[in-house]
Amino acid sequence: MKAMSVRLAALVVFTVCGSTAALGNEFFEKKIRPVLAEQCYACHSAKIKTPMGDLRLDTAQGLASAAQGKLMAAIGYTDLKLRMPPQGKLAPEVIADFQKWIEMGAPHTLGENKTEASKTIDWEEARQFWAFQPLNPPQGDHSIDSLLAARRQNLATAPPAGKREWIRRVTFDLTGLPPTPAEIDVFLNDDSAGARQKVVQRLLGSPHYGERWARHWLDLVRFSETNGHEFDNDKLDAWRYRDYIIRAFNQDIGYDQLVLEHIAGDLLPQKRKSLDAAYFESPLGTSMYWFGEVLNSATDSVKSRADTVDNQIDVLSKTFLGLTVACARCHDHKFDPIPTKDYYALAGTMHSTYVREAVLDTPGHAAAIRAAAAQVPAHIKEGKWRLREGDVLFTDFSDFTGWDISGAAFGRQPYFGVAASWDKPLVGSLTSARFKMPKLWVHVRLHGTQQPKGQPGLAPVRVTLVADDHKSQHFLPNKSEGWHWRTIRMTKEIGRSCYFEIVDRDPDGFLAVDAIIFSDHQEPPDVAEPGEFRLSSAPPNGVPSSYWGMVAGDESPHNVRLHVRGSHTNLGEEVPRGSLQIIGGARVETGSGRLELARSILKSPLAARVMVNRIWKHHFGTGLAASTDNFGQTGARPSHPELLDWLARQFIDSGWSIKAMHRLILSSDAYAMSSRPHPDSLGKDPNNKLVHYMPVRRLEAEAIRDSMLAVSGTLNTTMFGPGVTPHISKYQDGRGKPVSGPLDANGRRSIYIQVRRNFLTPMFLAFDYPLPVSTIGARGSSTVPSQALLMLNNEFVAAAAETWADKLTREQTGPDARIQSMYLTAFGRPPEDWERAELKTYLAKNGSWSDLCHVLFNSAEFIYVR
Amino acid sequence: MSAEHRSRFLTRRQMLCRCANGFGGLALLDLMTRTAGAATRAPHHAAKAKSVIFLFMDGGPSQIDTFDPKPRLTAENGQKIPIDTPTTVFNISDRIYASPYSFRKYGQSGAAVSELFPHVAECVDDMAIIRSMVADHSEHTAANYFMHSGSGFQGRPSIGAWVNYGLGSESENLPGFIVLESGLIPPGGLDCFGSGFLPASYQGTLFRNSEHPVADLQPLEKDPARQRAKLELLGKLNRGVLDRFGQVSEIEATISNYEMAFRMQSAVPDLLDFSGESEATRKLYGLDEELTSEFGRECLIARRLVERGVRFIELLSPARKGLDRWDQHSGLENGHRINAKSTDKPIAGLLRDLKSRGLLDQTLVIWGGEFGRTPCAQYPDGSYVKEIGRDHNPFGFTMWMAGGGVKGGVVHGATDEYGYFAVEKKVHVHDLHATILHLLGLDHTRLSFHFSGRDMRLTDVHGNVVREILA
Repeated sequence: MKAMSVRLAALVVFTVCGSTAALGNEFFEKKIRPVLAEQCYACHSAKIKTPMGDLRLDTAQGLASAAQGKLMAAIGYTDLKLRMPPQGKLAPEVIADFQKWIEMGAPHTLGENKTEASKTIDWEEARQFWAFQPLNPPQGDHSIDSLLAARRQNLATAPPAGKREWIRRVTFDLTGLPPTPAEIDVFLNDDSAGARQKVVQRLLGSPHYGERWARHWLDLVRFSETNGHEFDNDKLDAWRYRDYIIRAFNQDIGYDQLVLEHIAGDLLPQKRKSLDAAYFESPLGTSMYWFGEVLNSATDSVKSRADTVDNQIDVLSKTFLGLTVACARCHDHKFDPIPTKDYYALAGTMHSTYVREAVLDTPGHAAAIRAAAAQVPAHIKEGKWRLREGDVLFTDFSDFTGWDISGAAFGRQPYFGVAASWDKPLVGSLTSARFKMPKLWVHVRLHGTQQPKGQPGLAPVRVTLVADDHKSQHFLPNKSEGWHWRTIRMTKEIGRSCYFEIVDRDPDGFLAVDAIIFSDHQEPPDVAEPGEFRLSSAPPNGVPSSYWGMVAGDESPHNVRLHVRGSHTNLGEEVPRGSLQIIGGARVETGSGRLELARSILKSPLAARVMVNRIWKHHFGTGLAASTDNFGQTGARPSHPELLDWLARQFIDSGWSIKAMHRLILSSDAYAMSSRPHPDSLGKDPNNKLVHYMPVRRLEAEAIRDSMLAVSGTLNTTMFGPGVTPHISKYQDGRGKPVSGPLDANGRRSIYIQVRRNFLTPMFLAFDYPLPVSTIGARGSSTVPSQALLMLNNEFVAAAAETWADKLTREQTGPDARIQSMYLTAFGRPPEDWERAELKTYLAKNGSWSDLCHVLFNSAEFIYVR
Repeated sequence: MSAEHRSRFLTRRQMLCRCANGFGGLALLDLMTRTAGAATRAPHHAAKAKSVIFLFMDGGPSQIDTFDPKPRLTAENGQKIPIDTPTTVFNISDRIYASPYSFRKYGQSGAAVSELFPHVAECVDDMAIIRSMVADHSEHTAANYFMHSGSGFQGRPSIGAWVNYGLGSESENLPGFIVLESGLIPPGGLDCFGSGFLPASYQGTLFRNSEHPVADLQPLEKDPARQRAKLELLGKLNRGVLDRFGQVSEIEATISNYEMAFRMQSAVPDLLDFSGESEATRKLYGLDEELTSEFGRECLIARRLVERGVRFIELLSPARKGLDRWDQHSGLENGHRINAKSTDKPIAGLLRDLKSRGLLDQTLVIWGGEFGRTPCAQYPDGSYVKEIGRDHNPFGFTMWMAGGGVKGGVVHGATDEYGYFAVEKKVHVHDLHATILHLLGLDHTRLSFHFSGRDMRLTDVHGNVVREILA
């Protein structure tokens, strides 16, 4: 123990030194270097062969000599012969910055004798930074409480929270819902030593646990179910990822497995199967790649793709490493050891990855589908047409080379000459190889069922042309026309990378495609023989359904060239694709490198540190490292590095079990502290850096809404499935506006309300719901008047209050019983005498139970948890 | 608005009087409001402008048909344009389409304005017309995000949010960033007015053109006394919460927000009550004509918001039947005419009214869309038809500014002879943003917010103040 406290003291000193140096460097980077680059480097750097006055300000030596010499006189224009910069005196505040910088000792981040351009990272030094150090948990027996106590020294902690407070706190933490009066009673009456553990175990076993923690996770992967941009089109199957992550939390899938699945679930040699063994779960993790914003009609497709990749890198690196790698798109990361080359190594991996719509059935399930689908003979005869000059036949399906077959519909090919999903109940897709669009017109000859009237979203039966991975155009059949041509004009697609998807997702539909022709002619070719297509009978019943997902795949893996200053029009050297050097990531030669990337992340100490810190954050309000998504130089240093590493070690040793981590944290005395700090301690540590009390926390938007549903008795506990369309008020408008869903979303939990990027629920936004644009590990918690207006006047809140009042008056007799019930369900405690009296006084004057319910929803106690 | 209706809303003073014996905790709440929200902050340097009115012409008005005459287009009408042109959104045509409108010189400065804006043209001596605007995006949504937030992607703070973050609000009862609309939300949706990573309190509040313009502002209770009674009870219960939870500042702020919310309920109807405006004023804004009444209403509200200390006011162009904003890919001649006619008189009225009230000097008025349009014709499938339009063009377009420290009677920069590319004194959108902030007393390089590992700015790492148009 003695040895440890010595080590702790040393750590404290190191941290302080580290941060002073970091401050100086940051000041240089923010205030000084940009001015040098803009005002001085044209004449005083490696940019010109003979720097003016033989002075270079891009070397450490040159800068130091200037700082010690005439720099201030020159920029202050006090030296009549030397006025710099000659084009005009710097602004007074800039000169003041230089003065301050010199007073700080002119700290800088230029390498000795190295020019700015060739600045290289000192990897030995870089690895000394705490976040990159191997896990170094304290030796011997420790606990969360002992490690917290070691840093608190004599600081008095808050007393233990009452049992009511504790069960309310832990229930919200694990399920996002308030405890029911019955659950509270059980706990209050349980005097056994393991009473708390029992509650934790019950909550971890609740399906609501997965819903709660999946929502935290969705913040990290900027989960969205539409593309945003001009028309806010649907992202197909996004909800299947939401369900995947809920199941993963509920089943306590190891975090290491989740990392592998998110980055490379499609590439895993052993893919995890669903509990019923019907489909593969692992590939669904890779849906993460495509939740970003998608441009509706990009005029610069190369830039658009580069922006998509940038967002993928940003989200992936923040989520799994707590590193802001996207900062290295235009220049080496200014603070962290991430050279631009590393960014483009990752970019190569992302550029070698694409996302596609695929059937995820396991072979066993697929066999069951085929066995169940009776062989319904159909009659197909291919047509004949006359190619003209200027027509290019892409395919007439005389063979299927280069087509990727997914699902059962297009899987068997007794016929050639037609691509047909001719067994009605079967679904599946065909994906072509990529090609460069050669002509202005595309003619597709097809036959199939059209989208049922009124069914929203993408047609389930279609031929889709995808250009540059995101621009989709659809050739849609119309059954009544029999075999017919569909023609689309290519405006910007000529010369761009394209592929076709032939999709039949409708068990009641069919699709047959006869030919795809590129042409100079707007008119399709003349048909010589029409061909035939006849289904002989109704489809058989009882065919199991297929499971779809948007999953990643490797395609034509290739390296990319470095984009100088981030510009895709200014290409530098080719960078071998792969992982980051600071986590020891190797470059790869075959495949996209995603599996290798995932493994390098898991080997890094950051993987466990970042995740346990996220879990801690959601239980204590602040992470041990406060900047949950940034463990780099500009992020916060951990308040308790030894505790963080100890937790990370426990996490790995438990098989990366997230539920085990909850049990560990929730069984601590620290978690059971009251939110009323000891008066002496508040003055000494007002920001609770040393964790001497449990901070009061405001509930998130979803927890507030879900609580209203739960308290009013209308929570619909149905899990999973396509999202409920959000309710659209008359105050929401714009392109891509969906038909409004029900006001209460059928009572479903908030996680099941569709995340429509351009039509996010106003109530959520008012309570700091994050925009789905980048990784958010710590939401804001603002207090603005619009929240009060919403709680006071919003129709959803009012309706919930009415429903609750109905339930109360129906189920409880007499004012006392009703008021008792209100307080127990909403606040988890009985009312105090004065509160009961106030409510009764109001009732006597106004007579409305729904008013009282409404007032209780508005109470600060409803949205804050202590 | 009827007297009966108005009586449902109480002024703050009335509120305090009537509630002396009732609304518990009001004084406490009042104290807290000071710390919770509406404080102003010192600018970086002396400001010329206190408020901004951004007349956002959604869809992209054509520069060569409004403020940037190009005789050469007339001379070469219908011919192939002899310069290299970039990929455009529809990418259909390279044949020149001359402006169907005539231009004339106005004012002492002699700036040329087309027949589309006869009223605004009379104000050219108060305007700085920038003919060399450049933006980065050819698609509406990205361009809208870019014009508002300096980034073509969703999720960055809008300029109105930045301004309020930098200066705070002078209005106690109204949000500092208000967007007025008449049926049209630009592509990209309400995120054009979002607060991004800045605190949510800075996000734009949308005022619809209806009796109840703001969501959740209309009290649920038909009887105002009922709401007061509920708030009174709530105040008591919340004081109990403070006892129970301790003096947690977030809870204190949450409680105080109920008073702000209550005030907003009455401030907005008061704002929209035009009964004190003279007949002449109504006429000036075109409230008496069908085509101009909607935008005239927006313009008049804008002036009233300026008077109430609101920092950033954005006006969205009104919906017009059969037209898709200013986005005339076809039927430009008629479409631009209707759009201009709907806004011309109200805008001129706004400028004159602000000036006559001595408010123009401290109010920066900005006009423009997310980009301009091509000098080439756009018509379906290469067939030359009557309904000619123009495609998007971010490479050179026109915006103008007036008041708030801007030099009047100035024409700044130029496009090439065809009006396609800005060639002289280019003003990038980042420069526009830097200039707007400068006029408000904010240094765009210093107005930053730490997010995602770095200090984020409206102008990212770009932006130069356009000093030549400063008064």
